[in-house]
Amino acid sequence: MPGQPPIDRRQPVGAGSVTGTTTEAIPALVLRGVTKTYPNGKSALREVNLTVPAGDFVFLVGPSGAGKSTLIRLVIREELATRGKVLLEGRDLARLNHREVPKIRRRIGTVFQDFKLLPNKSVRDNVAFALEVTGTSGSRIKPAVERVLRVVGLSAQADQRPSELSGGEQQRTAIARALVHDPHLFIADEPTGNLDPLISWEIIQLLLRINEMGVTVLMATHNAEVVTALRKRVVALEDGRVVRDETGAAYHRED
Amino acid sequence: MLAFVAFSLKRAWQGFWRNSLMSLAATASMVLMLVLLSGLVILLSGLDATLKYVESEVEVVAYLKDSATAQDVNVLTADLKSMPQVITITYISKEQALKNFQQRQPDVAALVDALPSNPLPASFEMGLRDPSDYIDVATFLRGQSAVDSVQDIKQTVNQMLTVINVLRTGGIAVLGIVGLTVLFIIVNTIRLAVVARAGEIEVMRLVGASDAFIRWPFIFEGALVGLFGALITIGLLLLVQAPLTSLMADFFNVLPVQASAIVGQNVALIVIATGVGIGVLGSYLSIRSYLTR
Ligand SMILES: Nc1ncnc2c1ncn2[C@@H]1O[C@H](COP(=O)(O)OP(=O)(O)OP(=O)(O)O)[C@@H](O)[C@H]1O
Ligand SMILES: [Mg+2]
Repeated sequence: MPGQPPIDRRQPVGAGSVTGTTTEAIPALVLRGVTKTYPNGKSALREVNLTVPAGDFVFLVGPSGAGKSTLIRLVIREELATRGKVLLEGRDLARLNHREVPKIRRRIGTVFQDFKLLPNKSVRDNVAFALEVTGTSGSRIKPAVERVLRVVGLSAQADQRPSELSGGEQQRTAIARALVHDPHLFIADEPTGNLDPLISWEIIQLLLRINEMGVTVLMATHNAEVVTALRKRVVALEDGRVVRDETGAAYHRED
Repeated sequence: MLAFVAFSLKRAWQGFWRNSLMSLAATASMVLMLVLLSGLVILLSGLDATLKYVESEVEVVAYLKDSATAQDVNVLTADLKSMPQVITITYISKEQALKNFQQRQPDVAALVDALPSNPLPASFEMGLRDPSDYIDVATFLRGQSAVDSVQDIKQTVNQMLTVINVLRTGGIAVLGIVGLTVLFIIVNTIRLAVVARAGEIEVMRLVGASDAFIRWPFIFEGALVGLFGALITIGLLLLVQAPLTSLMADFFNVLPVQASAIVGQNVALIVIATGVGIGVLGSYLSIRSYLTR
């Protein structure tokens, strides 16, 4: 990618100011020869190599069971690689000490495939929870939460509980929660139960906007239409291997 | 830091009331244990205080009838001085006895002042040449018309020591069992609280909450059970303090147990420290076995 423009994280979305360090030189994410074998013997990733520069927008595609969610779990250090290295902003996740793991996770905003929203909390409280449990002072939580709710367009539903939301609204709640920390890296694991195509487009627009603010975006998806239309970088996994890594690509191989 | 404490306390409070039945049961068992504990502490410290008083050189005490005259006292003093078995003699008048008592028990002094007359008898306190002389001296004293009763202090002390030892051993054993039960109940209460929050704990980890934020609310919740238990116990003690003190004042010349010890600062501190300590220990054990990764 020659002549890549400098990364500009102009407007922080949520609370907390962006540290002034320049991260352009260090890739947001590097996987080097990563293999993940689950305790039951299942190899979900095999020898995966991947470099994501800061500010990049990457679609992670592949059939169900290809290892997309597994890759994401390694990046947020929910799991450790069996072999190989995972570097987040240059830091080897396997070498992090116990106390550094939470700090690293605050730099990543993750939308989980199953959202992991708390059923007995309102949209607002679900989003605020992420700040509350990481020690943000009460006075800073409220404005930050209102701001991200505006960004994802959920201000009107702020008092509803997840069970009172549509699938798309639930996803946007999860996005808001992932954004509220001003992450450097934003990861979305798209739910397999597909959303209304129109809603998917809204969410994609949202992610593009987040990316324009300088946040690196990694999105696992099955949505061929969206991937093909946007012509972004596409990393395709199949049976745990990277079978394709192209910029400006479509969902399917175009030969 | 402030956000952390506020968050932990809020969560602990919510957690306590989320499963209020279990929390209240844990608190009740805590109260039971603390009442037993404070009862034992009060009794033992009272007995110890009494023991210190009687454990002086004095071996025999002869209490005089209120009808004894100065003449009787003089005659008795002379008679006792002439006995080779008696080494030391101290005469304690009714007034002196009252003064001594008030000095030892300043807290009941006011109560004693309110009494219509001085209930304490005059007495002779004697040291003996040899403990075996007790029989001779006691026989002589009991033959005197001015003498009301004779007490063998050594024997009383020994009896009290036996009582104290039985109470201490038995009390500690019972307390140990009750304490373990309370600990077990708290471990389970907190475990239920952790299970109830499993979803939240998962989200907390994934959004980067530090371990302290995950653990301390549960520690505080255990401490809350202990603190509530301690405050209820102290309240109960304050409630029974007045009737118990007057009861003891009635018997004060039989067993001068220190009534002031009932809700003295020490007892309150012991109760709070034990309650909070067991609460914290219980929750620590619970989350250690549950939240380790
Ligand atoms: N905890 C686990 N233990 C054992 N095997 C697992 C575990 N999690 C995932 N797998 C297996 O690893 C493989 C990859 O799973 P993963 O969830 O990464 O797929 P995916 O690409 O996200 O699929 P989908 O598109 O359906 O979400 C699958 O075969 C799955 O059965
Ligand atoms: Mg998946």
